[in-house]
Amino acid sequence: MTTPADDIEDTDPGLARERTALSWTRTAISFAAVGGAILKSRPYAGVSILVLSGLIWKLGQLARPSGAGQARPRQLLLIAVAVTAVSMAALAIALLNPEPGGLRP
Amino acid sequence: MRSEPSRHGREEGSDCPVRAGDGRAGGDGTDPSRHDDSAGPAPAADETEPDARFTFANERTFLAWSRTALALVTAGLAIVQLLPPFPGVPWGRRIIGTPLILLGSAVVVISYLEWAGKQRALRRGEPVGRSRLPWILAVTIAVIGLIAVALTLLSGVKLH
Repeated sequence: MTTPADDIEDTDPGLARERTALSWTRTAISFAAVGGAILKSRPYAGVSILVLSGLIWKLGQLARPSGAGQARPRQLLLIAVAVTAVSMAALAIALLNPEPGGLRP
Repeated sequence: MRSEPSRHGREEGSDCPVRAGDGRAGGDGTDPSRHDDSAGPAPAADETEPDARFTFANERTFLAWSRTALALVTAGLAIVQLLPPFPGVPWGRRIIGTPLILLGSAVVVISYLEWAGKQRALRRGEPVGRSRLPWILAVTIAVIGLIAVALTLLSGVKLH
């Protein structure tokens, strides 16, 4: 058990919120990276994932001013559904595409 | 669990917005008839909203797992699409890549369920359980690694 003065977050609780907002930003960047990676072989899927990453970025910004400390099951469920959808799309590409030659055919 | 005083200190800290349930001044969550109109399901009588830092930490943990899942999916896709084919083993890349993609979707689903379970435990003041995800991740990646080794040796044998 720490006394309040021991923990910097007791005087500046915004740090936890800041870390969480940054974590959302990293998640959005990860989505953008996946979208960019798919863009070449599947342009439509890539563009939709890039749009989704913009939406996730927006959600992360919303974490900052409002909804402090409230659990956000819907937003997190959106992430879970999005990652599952991306992985299903990846699975379809991996299994249905004709044997790709690789980078050096 | 952090003590109540610190929680109040934080809410008086001005930049922290007022919570939905803040009309309960003084009651502080012990009133069984309290109902949050927040996003989550209405807490039961013995549940109180946890310290915001715990909620944030739980959320960050889920987000980190979701990024791990995305990385697994990307790695699996890259193996199938970009890796040069194993000589003599045409299905080799799919054998390695497909489990990685499936592992990614399993990780994000399990981490969401664990997030919900931990949030419930935090509201009830119970200890949050230990995550099973590291074990699942370690075992699956180890198996995929062994398969990759076997494929490499097999394609080497077939080549000569």
